[in-house]
Amino acid sequence: MKHYITKRLLLLIPIILGLTFLTFALLYITPGDPAKKKLSAQGIAVTNEVLEKTRQEMGLNQPFMKQYLDWFGKFLKGDLGNSFKDGTSVADKLSKGMRYTFILSFSAFFLAITISIPLGIYTAVKQNRFVDYFIRFLCFIGNAVPNFLLAVLFIYFFCIYIKVFPVVAKGNMQGLFLPALSLALPLVSRFIRQIRAAVLEQLNAEYITGARARGNRETYILFRDVLHNALISIISIFGFSIGTLLGGSVVIESIFMWPGVGKLMMDSINARDYPVIQGFVIISAMIYVVVNLLIDLCYQLIDPRGEE
Amino acid sequence: MKKKLFGILSIVTLTIFAFSGCKNRGTTAENRNETGKKILKCSESFALETLNPHQDYQGWYTSIYGLTEALFIMNDQSSVEPMLAESAKADGNIWTIKLKEAASFSNGNTVTSDMVIRNLQNAGKTNSRFAYLKDCSYQILDDKTFTIETSEVYPTLLNDLASPELAIVDLDNSKDMGSQLVATGPFVVSSFEPGGTIKVKRNSSYWNGEVKLDGAEFYYMPEPDTSLMAMQNGEIDCYTGVTADAAEIFKNDPDTYKLVSIPATRLQFYILNKNRLDDSVRKAINLTIDTKAIETYLNGTVTSTDGPFDSSAPYGKVTKEPVDIEAAKALLEKDGYSLNADGYYEKDGQVLTINIAYYAARSLDTLATLMQEQLKTIGIKGTLTCEVDPDETYIATGDFDIALYCMIADKAGDPYYFISCTLAKGAPYNCGGFSNEKTQKLIDELKVTSNNDRRAELANEIVQTAIDEDAFGYVALFNKTTVMRNNVVNVFENCPFDFYFLNANTDMN
Repeated sequence: MKHYITKRLLLLIPIILGLTFLTFALLYITPGDPAKKKLSAQGIAVTNEVLEKTRQEMGLNQPFMKQYLDWFGKFLKGDLGNSFKDGTSVADKLSKGMRYTFILSFSAFFLAITISIPLGIYTAVKQNRFVDYFIRFLCFIGNAVPNFLLAVLFIYFFCIYIKVFPVVAKGNMQGLFLPALSLALPLVSRFIRQIRAAVLEQLNAEYITGARARGNRETYILFRDVLHNALISIISIFGFSIGTLLGGSVVIESIFMWPGVGKLMMDSINARDYPVIQGFVIISAMIYVVVNLLIDLCYQLIDPRGEE
Repeated sequence: MKKKLFGILSIVTLTIFAFSGCKNRGTTAENRNETGKKILKCSESFALETLNPHQDYQGWYTSIYGLTEALFIMNDQSSVEPMLAESAKADGNIWTIKLKEAASFSNGNTVTSDMVIRNLQNAGKTNSRFAYLKDCSYQILDDKTFTIETSEVYPTLLNDLASPELAIVDLDNSKDMGSQLVATGPFVVSSFEPGGTIKVKRNSSYWNGEVKLDGAEFYYMPEPDTSLMAMQNGEIDCYTGVTADAAEIFKNDPDTYKLVSIPATRLQFYILNKNRLDDSVRKAINLTIDTKAIETYLNGTVTSTDGPFDSSAPYGKVTKEPVDIEAAKALLEKDGYSLNADGYYEKDGQVLTINIAYYAARSLDTLATLMQEQLKTIGIKGTLTCEVDPDETYIATGDFDIALYCMIADKAGDPYYFISCTLAKGAPYNCGGFSNEKTQKLIDELKVTSNNDRRAELANEIVQTAIDEDAFGYVALFNKTTVMRNNVVNVFENCPFDFYFLNANTDMN
């Protein structure tokens, strides 16, 4: 097991190398000069002399490979550099943003699984009954409604109409609920459908017919056999979703003024803030690798046959 | 058992969230005055990471928050007025500036010549747009008087000194300017969350009179819808940058809200490519583009304009010919164009097709579509080209027939900046082939002329020539729209510059 984990973590090295190089190259060829973006942020034109001087100060006049290797050299020493946009430390920016994104992501995820697991199983068990159709209908709506619309509707309903929450959210539980709910509901809709499908697949398997024929109780079959075997599919679904959630949600974070990494990323892309974007790419790669590793470990815990 | 567990878990989760939401209910702007303190709550679409006013455009925000002041200030008529400075006098390229006796920092230290000079030098080092300040020669005449010697005659120095980026800070006591800022403004930092909320409180030893508010809070709200709903919910008292839809809502409730909308300094304009378009075609385009109709379509967010500057400014006195579709058609026909079966003008079998280059920001995408529609009405076919970065594409290459652009035209109460950027020979935005020897001479004269009346006269003549030669089309100035609760007064709502907001006279009656 230790060998397996080490091997997977070592895979991070080529992944980070490849990803950072690719990101740097893509940013380099994308139209938009970071120096000009910085100097003209308020719509004020600057002279070519000022622009040239700023480009020089920011190291943008260097050849592409030199710029990349300079950045990578610093990264190897643990220095992610400073933001082009405001000169603050990239590490500080990202650690602050990631903290908020973790809180929001895990709250939304927790909310989503709390609602979707029981409902997903229930709709599978009650297949083709009214309750199944009704929940699936709601899931279609949940999947179709974009989360920015949900967010605005939630603010209107909870903050303006019934006045349960303030619009000006603070970084506490009070400020967390609506963004978490806005992120969770589309997930709930997706999870319910996927859990339902995974459970149904098991319920229709021949070993379940056998178990029923042996006179086992339905609850026993459901929790002991069906759920256990459906768990691998369910964990895969959850794993992919948590990776996406940790990438931050630009729209939800903007609407709810949640200082997470999604909004930071969008601002950084618009400002061509290379150091911040590169830092984020590294962190994202690590998150995806670690989450996938955890999922694989979970698979092996659930079904040790896959260990080989 | 497991079903019960799921049920209990769900209920507990939802209850925790619901109660967490309910418990702090009631912290709205409407009942805030129960504490007896006047705290103004506002939203801002930008949040600072540090409070160093000299860096980039951060001085705009420290000025908005009422923390910093510069030597001069721009008034509602876009003229420079003394702030920390008492007077200024130019003798060639040497400016003598006298500071106000009373001017002092929030810690009680006096604003001295030495401190001002160090601030200007620091801004010159920190901010590339003011790099020339570090190369100027400074001389202290006394504690309150100093001279600045520029390398060449610099008549707009006072306008620059009114820029909020040149705020005067107590450099000795602002150890980390990013968070501990000691400046001269009517407010001081109470709490600052980088990238988030900033709270300010009254500067009890403010040098320039009584500060009426106890404090203010600025919440970072990048989405205009959030500001609208926070305003409706009574959680904020005012904000600028009100959208057209939100303005309609506020207008319908005059008992609660005051809405002030004035033409500001950000200009939408187009460049006509003289290298590609004949005189008659350019003239026909300018006679067709109906800026009033564009203003109406953009629903109160812009004010149509004849020139690049607000017509109330002395350097904004230019005119353009009114819309005249028939005259436009006659011009084209005189030039040999005739209408084809599709309703488009053509000459030598070629349909008159105009390429409109634009970028999708500041409503330029809407403007491009509206212009395309308007040109179609007289028989000119418009094709649209959208670019991500205009400066790297059509502005740099000149590959366009009409180029749309948006920029701040009036940076600090003077026309030279815009004229030198768009009309001077070799200027970065003079990319449509505008070239006029007489105008260039006038621009050169404008650069060194100190007399304000003469400057206005020169600017008007230069811009008028560009309009008459159909080299440019000035469409509209973006409005600065501020909404306030009826009890809020004096937030610089009538000042066209974006960088002023909170001041000593801001009050909640």
